[in-house]
Amino acid sequence: MSAEKCIELEALPELVGDGDAVAFGGGWFANHPMAAVRELIRAGRRDLHAMTVVGSVDIDLLTGAGVLGHLTFSMVTLEAFGLAPNVRRGIEGGSLAFTELTGLGLLIGLEAQGRGVPFLPYRGPFGSDLPGRYPDVYATVDCPFTGEELTAVRAITPDVAIVHALRADAEGNAQWDGTSGPDVEMAKAAARVIVTCEEVVPRDTIVESAHMTKLPGFYVDAVIAAPFGAHPTSHIPAYGMDAWELMEYAIAAAGEGYEGYVKRLRRESEDEYRHRVLGNRRGDVLRALVGQAETLSASAASGAAAP
Amino acid sequence: VNGTYDVHELMVCRVAAEVDEGVVVMGSFTPLAYAAYMLAKLTHAQDAYLVGFDAVGMEPIRLSFTGAEAAAYKGAACRWGMLTEINSIHLSNHGGVEAVSSAQLDGTGAINLSAIGDFDRPKVRLPGGAGAAEVIKMYRKMVAYFADHNPRTLVERVGFVTGTRWKVGREARRAAGLQPGPIVIVTNLAVLQKDFDERPFRVVSVHPGVDLGEVVERTGFELEVPDDVAPTPEPSERQLALLREEIDPLGTVKFDFVGGQERLAYLKGILDAEWERAAASVGVS
Repeated sequence: MSAEKCIELEALPELVGDGDAVAFGGGWFANHPMAAVRELIRAGRRDLHAMTVVGSVDIDLLTGAGVLGHLTFSMVTLEAFGLAPNVRRGIEGGSLAFTELTGLGLLIGLEAQGRGVPFLPYRGPFGSDLPGRYPDVYATVDCPFTGEELTAVRAITPDVAIVHALRADAEGNAQWDGTSGPDVEMAKAAARVIVTCEEVVPRDTIVESAHMTKLPGFYVDAVIAAPFGAHPTSHIPAYGMDAWELMEYAIAAAGEGYEGYVKRLRRESEDEYRHRVLGNRRGDVLRALVGQAETLSASAASGAAAP
Repeated sequence: VNGTYDVHELMVCRVAAEVDEGVVVMGSFTPLAYAAYMLAKLTHAQDAYLVGFDAVGMEPIRLSFTGAEAAAYKGAACRWGMLTEINSIHLSNHGGVEAVSSAQLDGTGAINLSAIGDFDRPKVRLPGGAGAAEVIKMYRKMVAYFADHNPRTLVERVGFVTGTRWKVGREARRAAGLQPGPIVIVTNLAVLQKDFDERPFRVVSVHPGVDLGEVVERTGFELEVPDDVAPTPEPSERQLALLREEIDPLGTVKFDFVGGQERLAYLKGILDAEWERAAASVGVS
């Protein structure tokens, strides 16, 4: 592949085949590659095996849109907005095959693949019922030096990782300034890596802030400019999470109106999506959430509220 | 509870009392736990080392649903990712305290965040444990909190073990290479603590106005009830002022205590306030 890795978002689904195992980056309500999620839905991808550490609206939307054949996760939740309705329905109804791994196990399995070893040992989830469910992922191994019994977690091998960065250059050198979650480990483990980012910048910009480069370009196959590409989740420091859209999502996903919600996403391009949801300066307000966020200075400890 | 404070405020103070020096891992935004860490950091535990999202070495923050993450980074000394956090904090035994909540917790200290009913075809599919399966055994103290103390949540045996403390007693924990420390449960009724594998949770205190019999009745596992059970300390004026004026003026903690129809409206009210403030700052009406 040439050093020029920039492609359009519309070309992303060509890099993801039906049935592929796809690791989706981000965690909590932060930094999920939502523009990519929407584009996979628009392209009608089917039977993907999604992998997430702490998924939220990304995974629930993929499930509800019929994109997933299998889900590997350690948590999927809409937090204050409740359990993930589509994931719940899929698993409770038996239509969504799943593998529930422990959070550290999932990350260590990705790390193993990134290091090129077939497994890694750790002081695992002793006493948990989960490892026994998945003998193809977890086993017990004795330390060759001390004899201590450890948990071995098998290398996890995504076909594709999709992560959302703050910025990247055409070579794929990608930077984060806030929550990067599992993004780097997913990218190192995957056979193909797609980086969507708030903006594509010249190499000089990357070099000037090289300490922020968490993923060097040699890992990366494609770079896609996707402004507000994590919306409605956050991308700190660019914008906070769109809790109002997330609430709308949660209400739609729990009720009758959900088909319409997905249909509308399928019909519109990502540009049209941005125009619809971020119009009337909504994007400015989401950016302002970052500015409004407050730490409590030492004065709070000694201030108005004296003992 | 009496007119000077609400039970969620007492719970925040009681969880905060468990926070001491050392690393506190907060994970995602869980308002009651966050409020307790901030209160501790602003009062008795100024050396607590806070980690929220991937922000490491945080200053205390003001709580909001849409601002907590950004605020965490604003005052942080270091920015990591999930794997570095687990390798450097959890697996190397640096984790001090984390307050967790779960759908079920039992008399052994095991938690269920996976499924109610059959695991493969559950009645209720729960969110999953994230790192809890591994880390609740690794923390020096495991603190669990529940807004509604009832026998369906505090059960004799969980239906599925997502994670456990594994070893509880001091010597057993030391022998297993784990930091010694108890399991502490803080609910809307009482504080329970488990110090030994082979002995049940003990009632440490009941909240003012709560009947001890009610605590026993509403707990699904066996409890050790000492002859003298003290009342849980009430929040001080200073703690209440910090909580209400500095840490959580929007009332995010109370959200977990609002049920039924009012729940969504309560959340909307907070989010409206967050929107209005951000919008005003950029001149959007």
